[in-house]
Amino acid sequence: MARRFLLLVPLALPVAFAAALAQSPGPGGPAVAPVSDYALTNVRIVTAPGKVIERGTVVTHDGRISAVGAQVNIPAGVVRMDLTGHTVYPGLIDAATSIGLPSPTRALPAAAPAATPDAGGRGGRGGRGAAPGVPAGARAANAPPAPPVVAPELDATAEAADMFAPTPDELKALRAGGVTTVGLVFNGGLFPGRIGAALTGTRNESRLGLRTSVGQEVSFGTKRGGGYPATGIGAVAFIRQSFLDAQYEARLDKAFKAGTPGARPTNDPFSRALMPAAGNEMPSWFVASTERQLIRVAEISKEMGLKNPVVVGVQEGYRAIPILKQSAATAVVSLAWPPADSVTGREFGLIGATKGGPGTSDSSITTQVKANAVSLAKGGVPFVFASFGGTSGATFRDRIRSTIEAGMSADDALRASTVAPAALLGITAAVGTIEVGKLANLVVVSGNDLFASGTPIKHVFVEGRLY
Amino acid sequence: MQILTRSFRAILAAGSVALLPGALAAQDIAIRNATLITITGGDIENGTIVVRNGKISAVGRNVNIPAGVRTIDGTGKFVMPGIIDAHSHAALENGINEGSESVTPEVQVQLKNDDPVIYRALAGGVTAANLLHGSANTIGGQSRVIKMRWGMPVDSMYFKGAFRIVKFALGENVTRASSTAPADERRFPMTRMGVDFTLRYWFTKAKEYDAEWTEYKTAVKSNPNAIPPRRDLRLEALTDILHGDLKVHAHSYRADEILMLIRAADELGFKIHTFQHVLEGYKVADEMAKHGAMASTFADMWAYKVEAWDAIPFNMALMSERGVVVSVNSDSDERIRRLYQEAGVGVRYGNMRVNEALKMITLNPAKQLGVDKMVGSLEVGKDGDIAIFSAHPFAPGAMAEYTIIDGKVYFDRNDAVTLRKTAAQGGTGGGR
Repeated sequence: MARRFLLLVPLALPVAFAAALAQSPGPGGPAVAPVSDYALTNVRIVTAPGKVIERGTVVTHDGRISAVGAQVNIPAGVVRMDLTGHTVYPGLIDAATSIGLPSPTRALPAAAPAATPDAGGRGGRGGRGAAPGVPAGARAANAPPAPPVVAPELDATAEAADMFAPTPDELKALRAGGVTTVGLVFNGGLFPGRIGAALTGTRNESRLGLRTSVGQEVSFGTKRGGGYPATGIGAVAFIRQSFLDAQYEARLDKAFKAGTPGARPTNDPFSRALMPAAGNEMPSWFVASTERQLIRVAEISKEMGLKNPVVVGVQEGYRAIPILKQSAATAVVSLAWPPADSVTGREFGLIGATKGGPGTSDSSITTQVKANAVSLAKGGVPFVFASFGGTSGATFRDRIRSTIEAGMSADDALRASTVAPAALLGITAAVGTIEVGKLANLVVVSGNDLFASGTPIKHVFVEGRLY
Repeated sequence: MQILTRSFRAILAAGSVALLPGALAAQDIAIRNATLITITGGDIENGTIVVRNGKISAVGRNVNIPAGVRTIDGTGKFVMPGIIDAHSHAALENGINEGSESVTPEVQVQLKNDDPVIYRALAGGVTAANLLHGSANTIGGQSRVIKMRWGMPVDSMYFKGAFRIVKFALGENVTRASSTAPADERRFPMTRMGVDFTLRYWFTKAKEYDAEWTEYKTAVKSNPNAIPPRRDLRLEALTDILHGDLKVHAHSYRADEILMLIRAADELGFKIHTFQHVLEGYKVADEMAKHGAMASTFADMWAYKVEAWDAIPFNMALMSERGVVVSVNSDSDERIRRLYQEAGVGVRYGNMRVNEALKMITLNPAKQLGVDKMVGSLEVGKDGDIAIFSAHPFAPGAMAEYTIIDGKVYFDRNDAVTLRKTAAQGGTGGGR
């Protein structure tokens, strides 16, 4: 929990990266094996979207990029790799995936006796957490009560980056598609926690967590066991009330600190957890894909004064461009395309409303769906790519290629999978480009186009480690 | 201009209007030589109605149609105001009932704008509907009043200017009479007594909440640092009911529960705006009229459940006779297509005058939804929401041929038949 920035980067960086990357494990962290230094020579280098060094060298040291350029002195002791005929790119960032995260709808652990205070989760949530029934006689009569169990769908301070526990195979699959960094977004719940960022190296060799508290996730889910809200319609009311309560708590806090007579914060942990998001100190990340959900997000954002909300999914964004612009939203566009028969408006084509015109057949709906990000780009909606709800890794790279085929420029596509998500996730200082000081997250392909069909990925470096 | 008009008509005649970009966008339309059922101004034979910019600009026998306006020949046809359904659960998503608690007026239903039921309703001449929360709760969620603008995003279908409406419910649904769960696992209230208590408990809380805010609004004038009360969306909605800003539509069947709710509302200081279903309304019509409540009922739903055992098809006529404003509603994705037949029941059972019966699906539901200044009759200045029937809507075999909203044709039976054939053949003209 204390590791707000789990990987610490020692540069003159935003406050966000205030401390130093240490190869030695932090207290309680996993042991980190030493990493070799590399020199990638005679390689075409795409340092950032639109910035290319046709033939140059990238040197890594201690997991980071230590030199990059056409003419670079290669220090002794590095592993040299002649990459003539190859291109090195910044590692790709999948801005939103739930891989390796527990489900917010998972079963609760059975309530533990009071004697084991560690069991039962993260402490009180103002009664919103459903405390499972403790069998009578399970506790000694005078034992302190067990801490309330926080329902995962309402665990607003849960940090995705802390909970990221992918299998080695999952990490391998991510790297196989050139994905070296992931944004972590829970799949389900109401306020299931906070967005994080992580690397895709292996657990034994790298601490995965990169950043916590990127944003406060908001999802139109339900409370378990039939509790309020039990429906999507109830969820909207619940979300609105939760933001209002957090804003009220902030107001009480401020008044209390100012010495206003009668002012006392409630100290309700759930409301306090949402204070940064409700006060626009932390962006709210709404999971919303359909046109109707996007309209709902815009309505809630407007009512609650949420500036620059982030929307994850946005699969029908092409139908909602004015709405997204109106709420100044950033779109984390899932490249998992919905099937044509699930898309809003298909029925309009079938019966009446858009008869005869373009865009009414399933194949043309599929074309529109695949060009979703292209439409957002043309419409002026800020966007990044993600695999949310679908498969990351190789599929993610394939879908970026399809988006380019649908009309997006290769530079825009690279931007949406490197520098733009790095900025959105608040990890620009660490990843997103090939620059001295950044983590050596690199993808090497043969030829000169990462997204060209049939281009094999030859090497992937995560935090300077060759995979 | 004339040439343009002629070619436009030629295209219309060829049935390929669909290919004309913007054909649907035009909000000017005229229907000539039809029987106009105006509802408020009698029937006009051989009449013409003109809609300009979405609003009715002329209704009468001697009306000039401006050049260039798309004109439908209404010879032999009957033109009536678009039908309004005061009670539907069609085209909703993500839950009809937030049934986890018995009082949830802060919740609002969510429109599913591409539900084909909307198109089917258009095919029955329906142009507007009140999409209600379900009846699982003593005080359920808020409605959406919509116009059936098929093809538009949800927020473009909301009927602007309509009342904010909240659903109340009484009787078997609220008390979960059909639940098989053990009593100790069921949600309170489980009896009609409990429903009465629930109402009193929550409105007492709402009044306290209202008083806190009143106190704050006074205090803040002299003390800018005064701390406001916590905004509670649930109590705020109940306060809106007390202030008349949120209108109550109460699901009800039996006379005793209707009287109970009227007494509770009178005591607690709010109005029941419209009783829904209200199958025994004929027994307590005077009390309803005295309270100022309207009624939206079924044509005939005798004994489909225990609390409906005393339902009679004369209910609509009897309540109307006692001065209650009555509408007949669908509450069904099937009946919403033929509300004009449901209204006709009032003529057969109870000898309602034909125009009074037609009011039950036009002007009266418009009053219940707070849109009677905009729709519900064919009058100059009202919205161009119109249904064109092949015969008098109460005649056997009458069908809606065109359904028009704000002057736009949203349903055209000729197109619908063509589209259906094309779709059946697997062609692309209809979409597939």
